[in-house]
Amino acid sequence: MDYNLNTVQDTTQKKKSTLGSLKTLIGSMVEEKRILLSAFIAMLITAILNLIGPVIIGYTIDNYIQTKQYQGVLMFSGILLIMFIIALAAGYIQTKLMGTVGQRMLFTLRNTVFNKIQELPVEFFNQNKAGDLISRINNDTDKINQFFSQSLMQFVRSILIMIGAAIFLLSINLPLGAAALSPALILWVFTKFVSPWVKKRNGKNLKSLGDLSSEIQESLNNFKVIVAFNRRDYFRKRFGEANRNNYNTAINAGVANNLFMPVYSFFANMGQMIVLTYGIYLIATHNFTIGLLISFIAYVSSFYNPLRQMASLWANFQIALAAWDRILKILNMENNMELMEVATENKSESLLSFNNVSFSYPNGTEVLHQINFNLERGKTYAFVGPTGGGKTTTASLIARLFDPSKGEVLLDGCDIRSYKPEDRTTKVGFILQDPFLFSGTIRENILYGNQTYQDFENGKLKQIFKDTGLETLLERFDNGLDTMVDISGDGISLGQKQLIAFMRALLRKPDLLILDEATANIDTVTEKLLDEILQKLPTTTTKVIIAHRLNTIANADEIFFVNTGNIIRAGSLNEAVKMLMHNKAAS
Amino acid sequence: MDKEHKNKKDKANIFGLLKAYRGQVILLIILTLVGNGVNLVIPQIISHAIDSFTEGNYVLKTAIIQFLVAATIIFVFSYLQTIIQTFASERVAFDLRKKLSDKISMQSFSFIQKSNPSKLLTNLTSDMDSVKMFVAQAVTSIVSSIVMIIGTCILLFLINWRLALPVFAMIPIIGVAFYLVLKKVRVLFKRGREVIDWLNKVINESILGSAIIRVINSQQLEYKKFLSANTEAKEIGIGIVTLFATLIPVITFVANLATLTILALGGHFVISGTLSLGDFAAFNSYITLLIFPIIVIGFMSNIIAQASASYERIYKVLKAPDTKDLGLVEKSLQGAIELKNISVLYDGKPALNDVSFSIKSGSQTAIIGPTAAGKSQVLYLLTGLIKPDSGGVSFDGTLIDDYKKEMFHKQIGFVFQDSVMFNLSLRENIAFSDTVSDEDLQKALDTAELTEFVNGLPNKLDTLVSERGTSLSGGQKQRIMLARALALNPKILLLDDFTARVDRQAEQKILCNVMANYPNLTLISVTQKIAPVKSFEQIILLMEGEVIATGRHKDLLETCPEYVQIYNSQLSTSHYETA
Repeated sequence: MDYNLNTVQDTTQKKKSTLGSLKTLIGSMVEEKRILLSAFIAMLITAILNLIGPVIIGYTIDNYIQTKQYQGVLMFSGILLIMFIIALAAGYIQTKLMGTVGQRMLFTLRNTVFNKIQELPVEFFNQNKAGDLISRINNDTDKINQFFSQSLMQFVRSILIMIGAAIFLLSINLPLGAAALSPALILWVFTKFVSPWVKKRNGKNLKSLGDLSSEIQESLNNFKVIVAFNRRDYFRKRFGEANRNNYNTAINAGVANNLFMPVYSFFANMGQMIVLTYGIYLIATHNFTIGLLISFIAYVSSFYNPLRQMASLWANFQIALAAWDRILKILNMENNMELMEVATENKSESLLSFNNVSFSYPNGTEVLHQINFNLERGKTYAFVGPTGGGKTTTASLIARLFDPSKGEVLLDGCDIRSYKPEDRTTKVGFILQDPFLFSGTIRENILYGNQTYQDFENGKLKQIFKDTGLETLLERFDNGLDTMVDISGDGISLGQKQLIAFMRALLRKPDLLILDEATANIDTVTEKLLDEILQKLPTTTTKVIIAHRLNTIANADEIFFVNTGNIIRAGSLNEAVKMLMHNKAAS
Repeated sequence: MDKEHKNKKDKANIFGLLKAYRGQVILLIILTLVGNGVNLVIPQIISHAIDSFTEGNYVLKTAIIQFLVAATIIFVFSYLQTIIQTFASERVAFDLRKKLSDKISMQSFSFIQKSNPSKLLTNLTSDMDSVKMFVAQAVTSIVSSIVMIIGTCILLFLINWRLALPVFAMIPIIGVAFYLVLKKVRVLFKRGREVIDWLNKVINESILGSAIIRVINSQQLEYKKFLSANTEAKEIGIGIVTLFATLIPVITFVANLATLTILALGGHFVISGTLSLGDFAAFNSYITLLIFPIIVIGFMSNIIAQASASYERIYKVLKAPDTKDLGLVEKSLQGAIELKNISVLYDGKPALNDVSFSIKSGSQTAIIGPTAAGKSQVLYLLTGLIKPDSGGVSFDGTLIDDYKKEMFHKQIGFVFQDSVMFNLSLRENIAFSDTVSDEDLQKALDTAELTEFVNGLPNKLDTLVSERGTSLSGGQKQRIMLARALALNPKILLLDDFTARVDRQAEQKILCNVMANYPNLTLISVTQKIAPVKSFEQIILLMEGEVIATGRHKDLLETCPEYVQIYNSQLSTSHYETA
C-alpha cells in the first residue's frame, strides 16, 4: 500500500471519501451555524449603520446647520452617537464571533488530522517524513484558518454589496447597467481560468514548506553526527537548498496571488469608462440625463470597490484550497490493516502459529518465505540468526505492526487480524529494538498506556515493583519514578532506555512477550538480573527472545534459526551455534 | 557593524530588520503613493469629460485614451508594487532563514538540545511566516497610512485650527488604546508561539514513537496529549481574537466620534459665523480621508504584534553567543590521548567524576562498565560533543580546544550507539564527509563487511535510505555507521557499543579487518563484552562515573573484584561464542 503523501494518486474511489471527509468537517461546523448567523447579523448592522452615518450628517447640514438651528444639530449628534455605540457593539460581536469560529475550526481540523494519523499503521510513518507531517498539521491548517477567520465575512459582505449594487444599477437603466457590469463578466471568466493555476502554485509552495520543515527536522535530530563529522556545512547546504526552493516557489505563488488585484482594478476602471462613454452616448441620444449619469458613476464604484476587495480575498481562498488539498491527502489515507470478521475458532494448543506466512515490502521484495511455526503457552523461544535475516520482521508480524502478504498468523487459534487492537495489544507485548521514550517522567514512560496501574500512587507502585523484581532496575535512576526524560536529551543512555522499555512491557503482563534485541545495550550483570525477572513471570507467559548474543538465549526451550527469510527449528543451542557459524556468509 | 548596533540596543525591533532592505522598502512606498495618486486622476477624467460634453467639445476618443492610459498606469504600478512586495518579503524571510540556519549550524550539540529542535523548527517556519506577512502587508500600508494622516491633519489645521484641535484629540486616545491592547496581545502571541512548539513536539513524538504506540495501542493517549496542546492553542487564539475584537471597533468608534465632534462643534461655529459653510463641508470630506488610514493601522497592528513576537524569538537565537573555533593547531594526530581530572555534570549530578586515564597512540582500549556508568560520555568528550565542567582532554599533549575543529574531526571516527541515518543515498550516508575518495569508501565498505550487502541491492550504493533508516535492520545500520566513521581514514576510532547490534562472528571479523586495513589506528571501544577485548592493551572499568580500575585483562582479573564479577556473568555462555 502506498502511504507516501507526495506520490499517492487520487483515485475515483478516493474522490468519494473526499466528499465524505468534507462532510465530516462541515458536520463539525453545524453547531457553529447559529454563531455564524449571529456574526452575519452583526456584520449587517455595522454595514448599514456605516452607510446611514453620512446620510444623517448630510441631512443635519441641510436642515439644521444651514438654517442655524443648533438644537437640531445637537439632537442628530445624539442620534449619531447612539448609532456609533451600536456599531461599536456590533463590530465587537462580529469580530469576536468570527474569530472564535475560526479558532474552533482550526482546533477541530488539527484534531481531525492528528486523529487520522493515529489511525494509520506504522508503514505510513516509514513512508512519510516527520517534518512534512508537522507542516501539514500546523501550517496548512493555519492557512485555512486565516481564510475563515479573516476573509470569509468580508467575502460574504463583498458579495452581498455587489449583488445589491448590481440590482440597483440594472434597475436604473438596464442597457447602461448591463454595459457597466460587462467587465465583471470578463473578470469572472478570467478568475475561473486563472484560479486552478494559482492554486497549483500555492500547492507547490506549501509542499516546499513541508520539505523545508523535513530538512530542519532531520538535521536537528541528527545533529550529533553533523557535529562529530564536522559537517556543519552539510546542514547549511541542505537547508540552503530547501530554503532557496521555498523562496522560488513562494515568489511564484506570490506573483500569481497578486495578479488578481491589478487585473480587477483595471477592469473596474474599464467599467467606469464604459459607463462614462456609453452614458454620454445615451445622453446624446436623449435617453439619459447628466444628473443620473453622475449618480450612476458613483453607484458603479460601489459595485467595483468590493470587487477589488474580492481580489485579495480570492487569493487567500486559493491558498486555503491548496492547503485543504494537502490535508485531504492525509484524511483520505485508509488503514489497510482492517479488522477481520471473527472467524470460526479452531481450538488450538498453540498460543501463536504462523501458517505459510510470507511477507513483502511495499516495493515487492519478499523478505519472509512461507513460514510455519507454533509457539506453545508458557515456553521460551529464541530466534537467532544473522542481521537482516528477518527476525524483526517476524516479530512485527506477531505484534501485527504489519500484515503478512500471504498466509495467516493465528493468535489463540484465531486470525490475528480478527482481534480488536485493544485485545491484541493486551495479549502481545513487544519490546522494540530501538526503545522510544516520551518526554516526561520515568513513571509516565513506564506506565505509558497501562490501564491497570495508571492511577496508582507511587507508594503502591513501589510495592508492585518489589513484587515483580523490577525494584532494583528502578533504583538505577537518580530520582526514581520522578526522573525526567527528554527525548532530545542524552541525559539517559540507550541501556537505560532499554531498561525502561523492559519495565514498561513487563508491567503490562502480556501472554506473549517479544524481546527484540531488547537488552543489547545493557551490561551483562544487569542482563542476568533481567533474566531472573523474566523467570518470575507467570508460567503461562510465552517468551520470544530475538538475539544474536547467545548468552541471552541459553534458557530457551526451543531455538529457531532465522536467515534469508526462512525459519528453521534449530534444536539445541549447540546446533544453533553451528548454524550461525556456517551461515555467516549469508548475512 | 549592523550586529554591533543591535547588541547595543539588545532588543528585538522588527522595524530594525528592514534597515538592510531600505532600498526595496522605499521603492515600495513610492510605488504605493504614486499608484494611489494616479487613482485620484480617474475622477478628474470623468468630471473633465462631463464638463467638456456640456460645453459641447466632447471627443469620445480623447476620453477613452485618457481612461486607458490612466488605467494602464494604475495597473502597471499596482502590479509592480505587489511584485516588489512579494520579492521583498520573501527575500527578508530567505535571508533571515539563512542567517538563522547559519547560526544554528555553528552551535554546539548541547545548544541544540537545550534550545529544543521543536522550537527551532517553529522559528524557521511559522515565525518566519509572521515576519514575512509583516514585510508584505504591514510596511507599505502603515507608511502610506501615516502619510495620509499627517497630510490630512495639516490640511485640517490650515482650514480651521480651532476645529482641528479637538479632532486631533482622538489621536492620543487611539494611541493609548493601541498601547494597552498591544501590550497584552504581545504576551499572548508569545505564548501562542510556544504552544506551537508544544504541538510540534507532540506530533514529533507521536511520529518517532509510532511503532510503540501501535504495540501498546495508546493512540488515544497520544490524542489526549495533542488535545491539551491544541486546546491551549485554541484558548490563546480566542484570547487574541477577543483583544482585537475590542481594539478595532474602539478605533472605529473614536474615529466616528471625531466626525461627531465636527458636526456638533463645527455646526456651532457655522451657526455662530466663525466658520464658512464651504470650509465645514471640506472638513467633513477630509475627515473620511483621515479615518480610513487609522482603521488600516488598527488591522495592521495585529500583524505587527504577531511579527514582533516571532521576531523576538528568532532574534534570541540569533543573539546566542557563537561557539567560535579558537583552535589553531592543525597537526595530524598520532592518537595519544589523555584525560585529566574530568568531571561532567548533568543537572548538577556528576555523570563523570574526576576521571583520569591516558591512552597510547596506536593502542586498543576498551571501556566497560554497567549501564549509565558514563561510558558514552567519555566518547562524547573525546569528540568535543560535550565539554567537561572541570578537567581537560588532550590529544598528543595538546588540549582538544586548541585544535582546529575541521582538521580534528577529520581524524576521529565515531560510531554512535544509536543509529543515525540521513534520508540520502547509501553512498552519501557513508561518505558523509566531503573528502572521502572512492578508494576510502570501498575500503570502509570492505572493512565493515558491507560489500556483499550493498551488491545485493538493486541500486547498489545509490539506494536511498529512508528517514530514520526504517528499511534497514539494526545490524545493517550499525555497520553503515562504522563504514561512515572508517571512510574518514581516521587516526582514532571510537566505537560505542558496536557489539550490541552485530553478532559475535561478524564483530570478530570486522575487528580483524579494522586492524588489517587501518594499522596504527588508536581504537577505543565501549563494550559490554569482555571476550573480544581480552587482548586489548588497556581495559578501563567505569562505574557510576568513576574509574574503578585500569589495566590488562589478566591484571584486572587478579586485582579488581568488580571486574571479576562482570567476567563471571559472561562466562557461562562465552564458550559458545568463542567456539
